[in-house]
Amino acid sequence: MEFVHFLELIFVVAVLLLVGIPLFGKFQYKKLVEVVNPENDEYKHLLVRKEETLISIKELEFDLSAEKISNSDYQDLRKKLEAEANEIIERLDQLEQGRKKAKSAR
Amino acid sequence: MNDIGEFTLLVALATAIYGCVSYVMAVRGNRIDLYLSADKTPLIVWGCVLISSICLWKAFLTNDFSLQYVWAYSNIELDTFYKIASFWGGQKGSLLFWTLLLTTYTVVVHFQNRKTNLRVVPYAMAVLLVIIVFFLFLINFSTNPFERIPLPPEDGRGLNPLLQNYWMVIHPPTLYLGYVGFTVPFAFAVAALISKNLDDGWIRLTRKWTLISWFFLCMGNLFGASWAYVELGWGGYWAWDPVENAAFMPLLIATAFLHSIMIQEKKDMMKVWNMSLILLTFVMTIFGTFITRSGLIQSVHTFDEATLGYYFLAFLFVILLACIALIISRLPLLKSKNQLDSFLSRESSFLFNNLVLLGIAFATFWGTIFPIISEAVRGIKITVGPPFYNQVNVPIGLALLALIGIGPVIAWRRATLSNLKKNFLKPLAAAFVAAIALLPVIPLGSRTEIYTYATFVLCVFVMACIIIEFYKGTASRMGLHEESVLGALTTVTWRNKRRYGGYIVHIGVVLIFAGIAGSQAYGTHIEKHLNPGESFKIRGYDITYEKLVAIEATNVKTRIIAQLQVERNGSHYWTAKPEKEFYKGQNQPVSEVDVLSTWKEDLYMILADFREDESATIKVYVNPMVSWMWTGGWIIAFGTMISMWPDRLEQRRRLERFRREELLFPSPAQE
Repeated sequence: MEFVHFLELIFVVAVLLLVGIPLFGKFQYKKLVEVVNPENDEYKHLLVRKEETLISIKELEFDLSAEKISNSDYQDLRKKLEAEANEIIERLDQLEQGRKKAKSAR
Repeated sequence: MNDIGEFTLLVALATAIYGCVSYVMAVRGNRIDLYLSADKTPLIVWGCVLISSICLWKAFLTNDFSLQYVWAYSNIELDTFYKIASFWGGQKGSLLFWTLLLTTYTVVVHFQNRKTNLRVVPYAMAVLLVIIVFFLFLINFSTNPFERIPLPPEDGRGLNPLLQNYWMVIHPPTLYLGYVGFTVPFAFAVAALISKNLDDGWIRLTRKWTLISWFFLCMGNLFGASWAYVELGWGGYWAWDPVENAAFMPLLIATAFLHSIMIQEKKDMMKVWNMSLILLTFVMTIFGTFITRSGLIQSVHTFDEATLGYYFLAFLFVILLACIALIISRLPLLKSKNQLDSFLSRESSFLFNNLVLLGIAFATFWGTIFPIISEAVRGIKITVGPPFYNQVNVPIGLALLALIGIGPVIAWRRATLSNLKKNFLKPLAAAFVAAIALLPVIPLGSRTEIYTYATFVLCVFVMACIIIEFYKGTASRMGLHEESVLGALTTVTWRNKRRYGGYIVHIGVVLIFAGIAGSQAYGTHIEKHLNPGESFKIRGYDITYEKLVAIEATNVKTRIIAQLQVERNGSHYWTAKPEKEFYKGQNQPVSEVDVLSTWKEDLYMILADFREDESATIKVYVNPMVSWMWTGGWIIAFGTMISMWPDRLEQRRRLERFRREELLFPSPAQE
């Protein structure tokens, strides 16, 4: 057997070992992901929305201090954003409470 | 080594196929063992492609002409610098180089995400591997760089002299880094569609990737223009060549995407639009490779052996159909719950910016494919030249320039007329002053002159908008924190990297617009046949042709240099040395221009021809404001760096989000 072919053989064996070993391993968890929970998705989404809304409020404050928007526009938009943020936080609280109850019931 | 290089390519292909299948099976069957097995494949594929690339580089550096590719693109006399760059000088090597970059990006994505987002990441990895499989299939079975010559010749044919320029080492890798980079956001977008995770998670995961790819593509375009300027010797930098267009179109669409994702992040809307834009950007990158490798469209940039058109065309259609089908099937999930608060808002200005960018992209696309369509329909290939692009794209480009100024000044969500008046008063006043000041300087006799005038006025307007934005931010910071001007400016930029980094990028774009307008409208040139000692004038420069010098630079290269003295206002200004280079075995000589570049204008000299009696034909261009474009490019690079710089606050917020998610919905630990 030529040296090059020997190297190729070693190479193939190494690749097979690398991808093959996990297939015969034992793992604490069998599943890759939990069964899809729509509440989890909503919770994740709301966390991002909350963050974005709070950032928008901060930017609005910055725009006011930079005199980019008038005080009345600022008040209107801030009210709107605060209402959005409250709505999101209330829903987040609901989800957290619901989850905690479900956990304690188990 | 060549056997090893060829063999590892086959192993890479087999492993990539296994990786695709096992990633999909792992996520479909929810099997961690399969995922951990698939998890090894990106690294193996990358390792194999890297070994193969090293083998090819070694063949170039050791003059191994038993490889057809090395013979075709190198020779013994070629500088080591260019031997390294010859790797991507032809179709075969360029595809291997593309695959090397793609696998490298894939490995980085793999290490960044292998333990998070396990509902999306396996699909994204599978998509990346499918694309790698396509390229590896071509390399292995259609255009193998390790193809042998039975009786190896003693020397190679050599690299095309036009490619023997330092830009050859910089421009293609930069452009490829941009092209290839868009595969990552594309893969995550497709993964989000398949896995139905259609919030803006995929955008957040890939925002930096999009920005990096955009940056490289932008720089690649500018480097390409710079290369064309110094190497092709026609005095210009952009010719609306199909291959130039192919690199320009994804840049335009990606720019639209970068702006519209801000609306999705802020308002959770425009999901279908953003999805379509990133898919289209990727499709356009494949379209670009199709153009250079199909041989269907004539271009100075196409590869000699452009034979892969049908493969790329088929791949293009499959991607396009799959993406359209995926988007249609997920339409109900992509529906936005929110609407625009007001027509007068930054969001709507971004929408206009998107339409304008897509308008330019579509016009460019139409002009690029028109020769194919005309040949298919009427049997005559009608080439579309620069007049078409200039006629269509210049007015749309001016609208875009105006929007660059308007967008940042309007507040998010809603702006009132009184505020708009207040915010635009100063920039409009600046533009008005510029309009008055420029009237005597710029005659308005032709359409070109009107466009140039409008461009300069708009540039002033946009610069005023940006400067006022910086001023307002700095003043606000100074008022609140008692900081110095420089301190407040630095802090306000550093704390709002995305916003102010973006503004800096806009400054660069304004300089590019000004540079294009100035050089296109006020450039002039002259061609003279001169004997030694004869002089001529152009735009205040007195140019005297002195002599012709011949130098045997290497065994294969002879340089014929014309020496010219340039005087300005009666005193010596510059000694120009344009030349022609003759390469052994090449029929056509190559012009090496000599350029003196200042902020005001470039003095650009070409040795067009010469005779044995030492007389020479000299072509001189005076190109105003070209250096503004290159400066604009560096400013774009600086602004993009600021925008991309990791934001500690953002990282903290993300960690806090993960912590809360984990607390409430713990995911199974990995490994």
